[in-house]
Order: sequence, then structure tokens, then C-alpha cells
Amino acid sequence: MKIERYDMIVIGAGPAGLSAAIEAAKHGMKPIVFDENARPGGQLFKQIHKFFGSKEHKAKIRGFKIGEELLAEAEEYGVKVVLNATVVGLYPEKEVTVKIGDEVKHYKGDSVLVATGASENMVNFKGWTLPGVIGAGAAQTMMNLHHIKPGNRVLMLGSGNVGLVVSFQLLQAGCEVVALADAAPRVGGYGVHAAKVARCGVPFYLSHTIVEAEGEDHVTGVTIGQVGPDWKVIPGTEKHFDVDTICLAVGLSPMAQLLKQAGVEMADTKGGHVPVCEEDGATSVPGIYAAGDVSGIEEASSAMIEGRMSGVAIACYLGYLTEEEKAKRMEELEAALDTLRQGMFAPKNRGKLVEKTEEGIDVSMNLLEKGYVADTEIERYPGVTSQKGIHPVIECTQNIPCNPCQDACPKGCIRIGKNITSLPVVDTEHECIGCGMCVASCSGQAIFLVQEDVEPGFGEVTLPYEFLPLPKTGDIGKALGRDGKEVCEAVVTKVRTAPAFDHTNLLTMKVPNDMLMKARFFQA
Amino acid sequence: MNKTAEVIIIGGGINGCAAAYYLAKKGVTNVMVLEATKSIGHGGSSRNGGGVRQSGRDVRELPYAMYGIQHLWPTLSEELGVDVEYTQKGNLRLGKTEEHLKKLQTLASNAQAVGLDVRMVDAKEVKEICPYLSDEVIGASWCPTDGHANPLTTTLGFYKRALEMGVRFMTDAPVKELRKVKGKVRKVILQDGTELEGETIILAAGYESRYIARTIGVDVPMTRLIDECLVTEMQPHMFDIMLGTAGADFYGHQAKHGSFVFGSDSGLEDTTEMRDPSDVVTNSMTLSASCRAIMGYIPALKDAKVVRSWCGWLDMAYDGVPFISPVEEAPGLILACGFTGHGFGTGPAVGLMLAQMVVGEETVVDISPLRYDRFQPVR
Amino acid sequence: MIDVQEKLKEIGPYVEMPDDDMLVCRCEEVTKGEIRKAVHEGIFTIEEMRRYLRSGMGLCQGQTCGKLVKGIMAGELKVPPTEIAPASSRAPMRPIEMEILAEDGGVAHE
Repeated sequence: MKIERYDMIVIGAGPAGLSAAIEAAKHGMKPIVFDENARPGGQLFKQIHKFFGSKEHKAKIRGFKIGEELLAEAEEYGVKVVLNATVVGLYPEKEVTVKIGDEVKHYKGDSVLVATGASENMVNFKGWTLPGVIGAGAAQTMMNLHHIKPGNRVLMLGSGNVGLVVSFQLLQAGCEVVALADAAPRVGGYGVHAAKVARCGVPFYLSHTIVEAEGEDHVTGVTIGQVGPDWKVIPGTEKHFDVDTICLAVGLSPMAQLLKQAGVEMADTKGGHVPVCEEDGATSVPGIYAAGDVSGIEEASSAMIEGRMSGVAIACYLGYLTEEEKAKRMEELEAALDTLRQGMFAPKNRGKLVEKTEEGIDVSMNLLEKGYVADTEIERYPGVTSQKGIHPVIECTQNIPCNPCQDACPKGCIRIGKNITSLPVVDTEHECIGCGMCVASCSGQAIFLVQEDVEPGFGEVTLPYEFLPLPKTGDIGKALGRDGKEVCEAVVTKVRTAPAFDHTNLLTMKVPNDMLMKARFFQA
Repeated sequence: MNKTAEVIIIGGGINGCAAAYYLAKKGVTNVMVLEATKSIGHGGSSRNGGGVRQSGRDVRELPYAMYGIQHLWPTLSEELGVDVEYTQKGNLRLGKTEEHLKKLQTLASNAQAVGLDVRMVDAKEVKEICPYLSDEVIGASWCPTDGHANPLTTTLGFYKRALEMGVRFMTDAPVKELRKVKGKVRKVILQDGTELEGETIILAAGYESRYIARTIGVDVPMTRLIDECLVTEMQPHMFDIMLGTAGADFYGHQAKHGSFVFGSDSGLEDTTEMRDPSDVVTNSMTLSASCRAIMGYIPALKDAKVVRSWCGWLDMAYDGVPFISPVEEAPGLILACGFTGHGFGTGPAVGLMLAQMVVGEETVVDISPLRYDRFQPVR
Repeated sequence: MIDVQEKLKEIGPYVEMPDDDMLVCRCEEVTKGEIRKAVHEGIFTIEEMRRYLRSGMGLCQGQTCGKLVKGIMAGELKVPPTEIAPASSRAPMRPIEMEILAEDGGVAHE
């Protein structure tokens, strides 16, 4: 029987798998990548938001763009990607059987990298099997790949980054997000992601879970309730919402079945059933590697670095790199990965309540419990200064590894420094020219430009705006506060769009001077 | 924990669980069953194709295979309180060549001689019994009293009922050795050092029985072999019969649930190394080879999706039939192993006979040809 | 070593709960109550549970409910979920038609 042999077989053409194949190909290998989907890139093509990190992590680039860059790079280095190719099994001697079209083909690899990613978790509640209860990832696929609105009125369960990011995308797609609930007592994802959802008027219900999905043959409503310390719903706290869609963002589980079938040593952890592996992805079976979410859930940014590491390790394992060359490249990659794993959301802080920032500033409890920083809390952060003329107000209040704003300012007004997780500081010595580059560059949409006394009693707030239709100069609407509630009337005075902003429009609205530090969103 | 029992059964498979149940039914409830892994029925008991048949068996096995089908299987679900999905709609053993038919005829004649209703049917009658079969089938042997059951629920059913009746089950309790006390096998020593003691020890641990029996100076000639099964997604109801072939290409049936369960091989299993029998994999060709074999007889299943495949290991006795007997040189020890891949259907009868041996009753049928020391050199 | 009888005593009898009729494994339509009850009948491992109730044995092979079943069993057995070993992984990783599986380039020889 015909068995095709490759020196590297990669299973999964997502960020980890492609990165690994590219890295290996750079060192002279000829990898083949299988993916069961019709298009490569894994989850990257669903990610329409800008990524965090530093330049080397492709910060402020939207996920799908990173996917396109990866594909171009893969092509440049001659990586062979086979799509609609479902791996059937991973057998001894690193043999892979793959369903391609109407047949099954046998391949053997001198090395096999499993980068199969993860699948969405489910939770059980009464009515969870009704049509209309969907995973957040599924909602994202519908919206961002197939351009289908998942529903009109949505309740989101889960306040991790997935729940927050998808809630915002649902709003962008024109859905009404009636509430965001989470059984945990505090928001799990980045505060900046929460804040941009909250200021659009989405109420956060922490310590709440779904009691019941209602409906006969599809979802017509949902009841949530507050959970007590025993995670049970406290009677009398139930709240009802009319919705047609319930979106679940309750975590991901690694899809490590192939590794398990291959007899790799596994560990059962809180984060799922994962292979026991070295930092470079080497598993207990020589020549079998794992990278990306399959070896433990993280972000796409870290998956790409993990993939590169596995690519280097495999290249060395098969003699395409010397140990010294490997060590040198690994050092660079380790540093990059280490940076991403710093800050309040570092793996070591998972499940912990961090009460103070690295600078010793109190973390906003309001942000953690309601999704937005209270007006009374905002001024304690170093990105928030009080100046007469136009200046940036940076509402970045948690230590996350991200620094594009620092480079965005041509005038040097914004300082983060060497430590990428430090809160941005607005340097009042340097004069802001109001170009708005910082506003557009902030992946968390947490930077605003504020100017007092543009005309007597009135000032202007410039905010990042990623909704359609785009308001026009002269439009009159409502200014919403950080909590999404109306604070005053607002007039749009300027709308700026530029290729450098990469689809983040800058909307400037006029509000009374005393509302400049309160008004953070414009609603037509 | 009480470390003594009247009977200690080594092996939590169908034979061990059935023996425990029938002992409890006879009033012997001071019984302890030891299962090496964490799951009852971890071995062949839960990995087989579910055949409950008489046809195709060695004449030495036929008497108790027939006894089980006549007296035990029909009421088993009711007795155990678990649906064992016993279906007695017959077994077709299919032939595609004259040679196949000759082989089937020999098997049928042997079985008829001991009183089994099995006969040859031609292609037309085969189609009447099962219209989904390939036109390439030119004849078959037909045993209307054969059938199939669900090995998973049967094994767990015996377990559950025995548990309810007071039998003690120890899982994750691998046995290291047996030891005699004053000339009688009494002690069972676990790998963790725990010493247990019983009046009678039943050794029904599949191939692993061999290692354990050796610790008392008894060896049973058997080897082990990997065998693979697959299951399809749920299908509309097609047929209730059990299928096998003269060429041993595959065997299987449609389960009550709607899925089809088939066993087959790639032919390379003989050479498959078994490093750890609790973590077996076949080679990469078996799944595809199995599908070709099945479609070669039931073309209608070409679009059925396979959802899972698995394998198990057979304890292959040197002459193809099990060892079921007390061990004279090791008084107190009863052996039940070497079932050679067809021990599921006889599980209830074997369990019953093991219980009978323990309490000193005569077994329901004569099984003296299955003595542990029957083997002789060939020249 | 696990003494099943002792463990059954330790976890106490099955007590009905209001959400027992909730489906957990939707492929095979297994409810929470059935799973909870089975634990009290001596079904202590995922491997046994799959065989006893067919939970996780359907089209998705437990991809959706595996973690949920684990959680329910752990609750009944009063142990952390990580102590309940997950099911084994088997080919094919996705349901595949027999006709396609058959076409692997292999040719039967007599």
C-alpha cells in the first residue's frame, strides 16, 4: 500500500500549525499541513478585532490580517497546505491516515506536529438543547465568515475575552446584546474589552447564571438568576429577557484526541485533557509535538510563538539545525512568549483576584463587577491627565502586555517604557497635536482625545468608532457614559477615516465641558 | 476492609461477574471479585461483537453454548434488571465460493451431530432471510436459534446485580500472585501487597490468567491476539440476524440502538506487538480493510458513517477452546480462561458452571474436554 | 484499589433532583438523572458509563458532553473532576462513510 513520507506532518492549519510549518520550512524542511476546514488559518479569520501585544506579536493588526500574512509567508516558503483533509487517526510509527475527498490516504512523518486547537465548552441548563442556544465561536463564524446575523436579541453567557469580544462583534453586526452574564463574581477578560461593551449599553450580570432557556421549538426568552456561594441560584433573584439567541462563551477544551490515540502521555488538568510536553512542544513520544490550544488554552498570539518553537525543535530533531542554532532561536522566541505571559492575566494569575496594578494603583472593582470604570475611579490612572488643550485620555487600567500606543504618538506624549505591561503614562511635557493615531492604534479602544472649551462651555471628545452606518458631521445624538447610560446630548463635529487607522474611525463629538470626562460613546 | 471471602474471583469480566452473580443466587454472597483496572468489563468482555451463537463452534463447546441459549439468555434481562438486548433471530454464516460452502457444510454436520439445528441454505433463501446481502453470496449455513446481545450492558448487568446481592467488587486491584497455604491455594496477593484469602479462587482474567497461574506453578498454553471492531452511526432498522462468513472476513449485527457493530481485521494482527494490553491499537490498515470486508457482503451500508473503532485482545488457547476446570495440582483453584475470542455468548453458562463447581454441584453439562491439562505434544 | 461496596456506602443513596430530566448527552439522549443514578448503581468510571448508558457514544463521541458527564460523576462520587479519567480516543476522529474509509489504496489479496 502506498504511504507518502514527509519529514514533517502538521495537523491543523491554524496559527500554531502554520507558524510551525513556516519556521521549519525556513530551515530547509518540506512540511505538509492538513486541515479539515475549507480554508486555512484556524480561528484567525474570525478575528476581526485588533490584537494586543508589541510589534513582534503583530499588535494592533486585526486577526484575519495576521492570518493573511501567515498564509502569504507559508506560500513564500513553499509550505504545502492540504485543505478539506480530515485526519482519521494517528498511529504508531507516526503514521497519519487522512480523509481527502472520497478517499483515505496514508502518510508517515519523521515528525508530526499536532496543532488541532480546541472546541467550545457547553453548559447544561433547562432548555439548553433548544435551537438558538449557540457557542460564541459559532456566532463568530456565522457573522465574520458567512456574514449571517446569528440573531436579533442575544444574551451572552461568559465574560472571558471570547464572551467580551464576541459581544462587541454582535453589536457591530447589528444585534442587540441584552445582557452579559457570568457565574463568576468578576469579569474574566480584559477590562478594556469589557469597557467597550459596557459603554454601548450592555448590562453586566456577574455572579449570574442561566436558569432556563425558554421557548417551544426555538429560544424565545431566557431567565438568569444570581448564584450564591454554593453556585446555586438564589430564589427571587431571577431576571427574564426576551431573546432569540443565547450565546455561550464558557471556555474551550483542547482537542487532544489524536495525541491520546498516539499514546502520548496526557495530563488531566482544570484546563482540559492535555499532552504533557516540553516548552518546545515535544511530547513523551519522540517526534510527536503539540503546539497551540491543543496543549493548553491561550491566545492566538502565543499559539503562533509556540508553533515557531515547535518548528525550530523539529528542525533540530531532524538535523536541519544544530543544537546551538536551535538554542539561539529558542531564546528569541522564549523572550517573545514570556512577554505575552506577563501582567495581570498571566497564566500564573489565573483565578486570582489582583487588587493592585504593578504601579501600586487600586484596580477598579467597578470594572471587575460591572464592566466599566466608575467616573470616580478613572482619574487615578497615569493615562488620565487633566489638561486644557487637546490631549489623550488613556483609560487603560490593567497591566496587560500591549504597547502600540507608545509608538503611535509622533510627539512622544505616551510612555510605557521597557516593561510592556506597564500602564501607559501621558507625558504632559510633550504637546499633543490631536492626530488621533493613538486612538486608532489602541486594540482595547481605550484611548480618547479630550479638549475643553472648543466653544464657550463646550468641549470635544474624540472616540474610536467601529459601527455602521458611520455618523456624519452635524448628526445629533446621545452621549453615553462608561456605563452605557445617556449623560447628555452630543453633536458630531468631525468623523475621520484614514488607511492608517485601519477601519477604526475617529468620531469627534461636542459635549458640555463638565461631560468631557464622562461621555465615552455616541449613539445616534 | 475484610480481607477474606469464601470465594475470590480474579477478573471483572463477563465470566467473573456472571460467576459472582450465580454464586450469589445460590446463596454464596461472601464473594470478592478483583478487577485489575478501574473499569468492570475492561477487557474482551466489552470489546467483542456481541455474538450469542452456537453455530461455528467446536463441538466441545457446543453443549454449554446451547444450554445458555436455551436456559439462561431468554430471561437474562429480566433477571439482571438491565436490558442486555438479547435478540434471537438466527445467524447466517455466508459463503461466496464452493470452498466456503464445503467448510460451512462440515461445520454444520458436526453441530447437527450434537443436536444443533443448523442447516445449509442457498442464495435464494439467504436473500429471503436478509435481503441486504450481496449477490456474490452463493449460500450460507443458517442457525435460527443463534443471536446477539449487548456485551456492554450484559457484563455490567451481571456486575450490577451481583453488587446488589452483596458481592464485593474491588477495582484497580491487579493481582501479583497466588500462594498456597498448607497445600491449598488460598492467598491472593495484590500488586500493592494486600493479602486476601479465600476458600476457593476462580481465575478468569483473560490472557493475564496465565501470568497469575504461573505463580502457583501452572501454565496454560495460550497466546494473545489483537482484534478490532467498529461501530457505525445509528441507521434505520435493517435486520436482526447475526452475520459471519466462512472466510472469517467479518462478523457483526445491527444493535437495538440502530448502529451496526462489526469485527474484522487486516490480517496483520498476528504480528502486532502488545506492549501494554490496556492500551492497544491496531495498525492503520484495519479500519479500511474492515470496511471493504463489510461492504463486500452488505453493499447497502456504504454510506453508513463509522463513528468509532476499538480493539481488544483475545486469549487464544492452543486448540481453540477454553480451559474451564478445577486445577487438581493446586486445590482450591478453578480456571476459566483461553476463551479464544468467542467467550461472550457463553458467559452466562460459564458463570453458572463456575458457581456449580464452587458449591460442589455437577455442572449442567459435561465440560471434561475443557480440562486445563488436556494438551499433549503433537509428535 | 477501590472497594465498590464501601464507596457506595460512602456516597449514600441516589437522591432525586429537580433537574434530573435535563439532557446531558444530546447525541444519545442521556439525562443528568440517569447518569447520577448509574453512579449509585456502581458505575464509577467514564468508560463504564459510556457502556452502560451510551453517554458520549454518539456522533460527536463525547466532544460536547464529556466534560459535563465528568462533572456530574465527580459530584456524585464526591471527588474532584480531574480524578475521573476521560474516555479513550479512537479513530476515526470524525464520522466517515464506510465507502470512503474503504478507499485507502489497500487491495485485498487472497
